[in-house]
Amino acid sequence: MSTEVSTSPTSLIGQTVVPGDVVLDLSNMTNQTIKLGSGLRQDNDAISAMRAGKFRFSKPNKYWVESSHKRYIPRPEDTVLGIVVDSKSDNFWVDIKGPQLALLPVLAFEGGTRRNIPKFEVGTLLYVRVVKTNTGMNPEVSCTDASGKAAGFGPLKDGFMFETSTGLSRMLLSSPTCPVLEALGKKLSFETAFGLNGRVWVHAASPRVVIIVANALMNSETLSGTQQRIMVEKLLEKISE
Amino acid sequence: MEVDREDGRTPNQLRPLACSRNILHRPHGSASWSQGDTKVLAAVYGPKAGTKKNENAEKACFEVIWKPKTGQIGKVEKEYEMILKRTIQSICVLTVNPNTTTSVIIQVVHDDGSLLPCAINAACAALVDAGIPMKHLAVAICCCLADNGYVVLDPNKLEEKKMTALAYLVFPNTTLSVLPEGSSVAEGEPVEHGIITSVTHGVMSVDDYFLCVENGRAATASLSAFFRKNFQQSQRDSSKAG
Repeated sequence: MSTEVSTSPTSLIGQTVVPGDVVLDLSNMTNQTIKLGSGLRQDNDAISAMRAGKFRFSKPNKYWVESSHKRYIPRPEDTVLGIVVDSKSDNFWVDIKGPQLALLPVLAFEGGTRRNIPKFEVGTLLYVRVVKTNTGMNPEVSCTDASGKAAGFGPLKDGFMFETSTGLSRMLLSSPTCPVLEALGKKLSFETAFGLNGRVWVHAASPRVVIIVANALMNSETLSGTQQRIMVEKLLEKISE
Repeated sequence: MEVDREDGRTPNQLRPLACSRNILHRPHGSASWSQGDTKVLAAVYGPKAGTKKNENAEKACFEVIWKPKTGQIGKVEKEYEMILKRTIQSICVLTVNPNTTTSVIIQVVHDDGSLLPCAINAACAALVDAGIPMKHLAVAICCCLADNGYVVLDPNKLEEKKMTALAYLVFPNTTLSVLPEGSSVAEGEPVEHGIITSVTHGVMSVDDYFLCVENGRAATASLSAFFRKNFQQSQRDSSKAG
């Protein structure tokens, strides 16, 4: 086994890092402002990884560790799928798969006033945006975009929701459109919502299509772009017989 | 100089390692770790909201549940739980998710010596799989002082019974660093030379203990490399899609 791990590589960008790896040395990049994303922490002049994953860099100055988990850590401006677990006079309590339940203020809707508070039963699926994630407080979510418009946020009626890893939902949301969605969309008509917390909602006219799409998405996690297309083609062939 | 071991290994030779992660469906992170015939399954749930009574709510809290192969847990298992909990607390970043509890469940599949180090390695792999923020990894090794004065590593059950003393040692893993060589030192020694946990049984002289530490540390380099290789492999599997 190789023991050359203690040598100093010049850059770890694009490589797999494990917790404890020092990925950046601030002492020789003093004239820059950098932004650190998830999975990194600062210890004096050294930036080290807290999670295992791929170390990524995006121009001009963003650094983060990309990994896939079953658990979601809320971040501001993430769009997630939450489930209502309780409703109080000021807030709804929403489960977004994070360490704590999230608060959805009853006025955080487009044109929300005290007079038109929506009624959500326990178990309602909502498409929401994370607003605040202060430590020591429950995260806050909202059903409006930054300018106060509904913008598609709100309850998702009917359809089918399943849980995946955060990595898969990120892949499905990436642009250009993920191959599996593109291939499915050519033949079938359906509606989807992906939350960055690893929840996926699928809605279509017939339950048959919902099941096909859901299975295709769940199977695509470990496949490459071409493999995804082949998988979808085979699937569609099978059902058209 | 040669020490005869039952299975024909050299004194510093470890048994074959195997590790697979994300094998259980329900937990947020899981791993199975085996060293020879010793095999342990670890599952991580959480972080969940709230801490238990008598725990510091301003930090992340950990609970360890030890499930023996058969029967109920006794004093030894309680001690293992305690050691494991302290070890985990010292390698994880506790301030990122305050007022949360993370459960680590250790299921012993088969015990053929070096059980606690195997469990620590399994727990560490499961924590990484769950994405719990960690300062660094921990690699654990069992060093055993045979009655003829030699130190053997990673003993099996038979050797454990025959030994005069044994030490469970946990070290930080060898890390990659972009810092210039030799700058990651704490009090004149590289970080990976620190000891996270040390548990000894039986009687051994100070010199023997230091010999154990030295031999153990030398072996952790290969354990660290194994950890890293394992993560790189699983990353490659999942990143094919991206």
